[in-house]
Amino acid sequence: MLLGISPDWIPTLDNFVAGHNAELLSALNLALNKSQAERGFYIWGETGSGKTHLLQGAVEKARTLGLSAEYARGRVPAAAQLVAVDDVELLDDAAQIALFDLYNHQRESGGILLVSGMAAPAHLQLRGLIYQVQALSDEEKALALQQHAQARGFILTPEVTQYLLRHGRRDLPSLLGVLDALDEHCLRLKRAASVPLLKEVMRNAV
Amino acid sequence: MPDISLWSECLHFFEETLPPQQFNSWIKPLHCEEIADKFILTAPNTFILKVIQDRFLPEITKIVERSLTKKPQFEFKIGKRTVSPSSPKILPEILVEPVIQINNKNHSKLNGSLAFENFVTGKANQLAHAAAMQVANFPGTIYNPLFIYGGVGLGKTHLLQSIGNLVKKDNSQAKICYVHATNYISDVVRAFQTKKFDEFKQFYNSLDLLLIDDIQFIADKPGTQQEFFYTLNSLIDSNKQVVITCDTFPKEISGIEARLTSRFSCGLTVAVEPPGLEMRVAILLQKSATLNHPIKEEVAFFIAKHVRSNIRELEGALNRILAYAKFHKENITVETSKEALKDLLSAQNKQVSIENIQKTVADFYRLKVIELLSKKRTRTIARPRQMAMCLARELTQLSLPEIGHAFGGRDHSTVLHACKTIENLRNLDHALNADFNLLNQTLRN
Repeated sequence: MLLGISPDWIPTLDNFVAGHNAELLSALNLALNKSQAERGFYIWGETGSGKTHLLQGAVEKARTLGLSAEYARGRVPAAAQLVAVDDVELLDDAAQIALFDLYNHQRESGGILLVSGMAAPAHLQLRGLIYQVQALSDEEKALALQQHAQARGFILTPEVTQYLLRHGRRDLPSLLGVLDALDEHCLRLKRAASVPLLKEVMRNAV
Repeated sequence: MPDISLWSECLHFFEETLPPQQFNSWIKPLHCEEIADKFILTAPNTFILKVIQDRFLPEITKIVERSLTKKPQFEFKIGKRTVSPSSPKILPEILVEPVIQINNKNHSKLNGSLAFENFVTGKANQLAHAAAMQVANFPGTIYNPLFIYGGVGLGKTHLLQSIGNLVKKDNSQAKICYVHATNYISDVVRAFQTKKFDEFKQFYNSLDLLLIDDIQFIADKPGTQQEFFYTLNSLIDSNKQVVITCDTFPKEISGIEARLTSRFSCGLTVAVEPPGLEMRVAILLQKSATLNHPIKEEVAFFIAKHVRSNIRELEGALNRILAYAKFHKENITVETSKEALKDLLSAQNKQVSIENIQKTVADFYRLKVIELLSKKRTRTIARPRQMAMCLARELTQLSLPEIGHAFGGRDHSTVLHACKTIENLRNLDHALNADFNLLNQTLRN
C-alpha cells in the first residue's frame, strides 16, 4: 500500500522523530552550523527508514540559514553549499563519476555533501561520516504519527494509532500515507478520525 | 671557478654511454664546482651520492684526469642544486602567478594541509614517497613523468599535493597546477566550445609543474587524450615536471591510447599499496593528534584491525568515533569505539525476509519449517513459532496480519499474543532471552 504524502507537509530536521538516530541528527545540525569538521555524510538504511526525510530536512534547514542547497534523487545536481544526493544506487556510471567529482569539489570548497543509499558502507568508496538510519520502534512510530496528525491539524486517538500499527504496513512512509488518506477522508465526510473510518481508508487503498 | 667545460664533458660522456633513465637518475642531479683545486660534487641525497662513489667515480676521475696534469681531488657534499645558467632544467627564475586557473570554479588550488610532513610512510608507500620527494626537490630533472598508481584512498592525492606544496615552498613563483582528470576533461570541452584552444594550450604548456589526479578518467575520451598527449610531450620536452596518479598500472588502463600509456611509463612508475596493520595504527595516531583528540594505542589497534581497506575508510571510522564520543560525552575507549562503529562494521545490509526468519528459527530448534507453519500447538513447536513471529515483527516492516498469514494463515491477534509472550518470557527466562538475541544477531548479520 503506497499512498502519496500530502504536498503541504514539508520534511524538516525538526519534525524528524529521531529515535535511535539522535547522534546522526546532532551531527547534521553541527555540520550545518559549521561546528563539525567532517563535511561528507553517507546515510544508509532500508527503505522507509527516514533517509529522504533527513536529506530534504537538511536542505530545508540549509536554505533557512541562507546557504545554497540542492536535493536530487537519481542524479547529481550542481555544486552548492549543501548538496544532497538521495538513493545513490540509482546513479549510472557517468553520474557516479560526477558524484566523485562533486565529492572532491565539496571537500575542497568546504561544502556539505549528503549521500544516501541502501547499501552498507562496505560497498561504497566515498567516505565521510557514515550513519545507518535506525528504524523507529512502534512507540516512536506512534509518536511520529501523532506529530504528523498534529501538523495537519487533526487529532489522532490512541485507538486509531494502535489499529494502524497493528493492521498496516509498519514502515513510516506507508503509515504516514494512510494517515494523510484518513485525514482527507475525514475532511470529505466532515467527521473526526476513528477506527471505522480508518478501516474504510485501508480497505479502499488495498 | 668551476670548470664548466670539464663537467660538461663528463655529462656528455655519461649521456652517451648510459641509458637515459640511469643518466637522469644518477648523473643529472649532480652539481660540480671546482674550488681550490678540488672538485666538489654535490648530490641531492646520500643514496645518489653512494651510487656515484661506488659506480661512477672511476669514470669521472678518468675524464677529469685527461685534462689535468695531476690527479684530481674530489670532495662530496649533500645539498640542493643552485640555479645557474649551466643548469637550464631548474625552474625558471622569472615567473608569473603561482597558480593560474583557467576556470576558477573547477580548478583546485593546492591544499596546504596535505604535505610531506603529515604523510605517514611505511613499507606500502616508501618507494612512492621517496620518488615524490626526489621530484619535489628536483622538479623536471629526475623522474619525468612520475606515475603513481594504487587503489582508492591510499594517499595518492596526498603525495601529489605534497609535491606541489614543497615545490611552491622552494619557489613561490613556480607555476603549479593541480588538476583532477575530470576537470582537465571539462577544460578541453570548454576550450572546444569557446574556441579558446590557444589559451588552453598556452596555460598548460606554460606550467612548471603539472599534477594530474586520477588519469584513468580520460579513458575512452580520444579528444582529451590527444590534447593530454601534446601537453605531456611539451612539458616533458621542456623539462617541466609532470606527476600523474592513476588507479592502475599504465599498461593496464583500458581505453587509453598506447602512445599515451607508453609515455606514462617513460619516467618512473611507482605503486602505493594498502597499508599494513602497523601503518594503519600510525596513521590513526597521527590523524587523531592532528585533530587534537589523541587516541590510545589500543583504540588505534582496534580500529586498524577492523578497517583494513584504505586510509580514507580509516579516517572515516576515526571521525565517527570522535563524533560519537562528543555526542555521548564519553571518553574514547575500545568499548565506545566498538559501539560507535557498530553499524559501520556490519559487512552488509541484509534484508531479512520472513522465509529466512522461519528457516533460521526452525534450524535453530531442529524443526521443519512446515511444522512451524502447522496447526500443532505442542510447546516444542508453539514456542519456536512465537519466537519466529516476534522476530518477524522486529526485523521486517510487514503488518501483523501479513505476519499471521505467513505462519499458516493465523490471525493478527495471534501474532500480537506471541510477541507479548516472548517479551514477557525474555525478562524471566535467561536461556530464552539468550536464544532470542542469538537468533536476532544471526538474522541481522
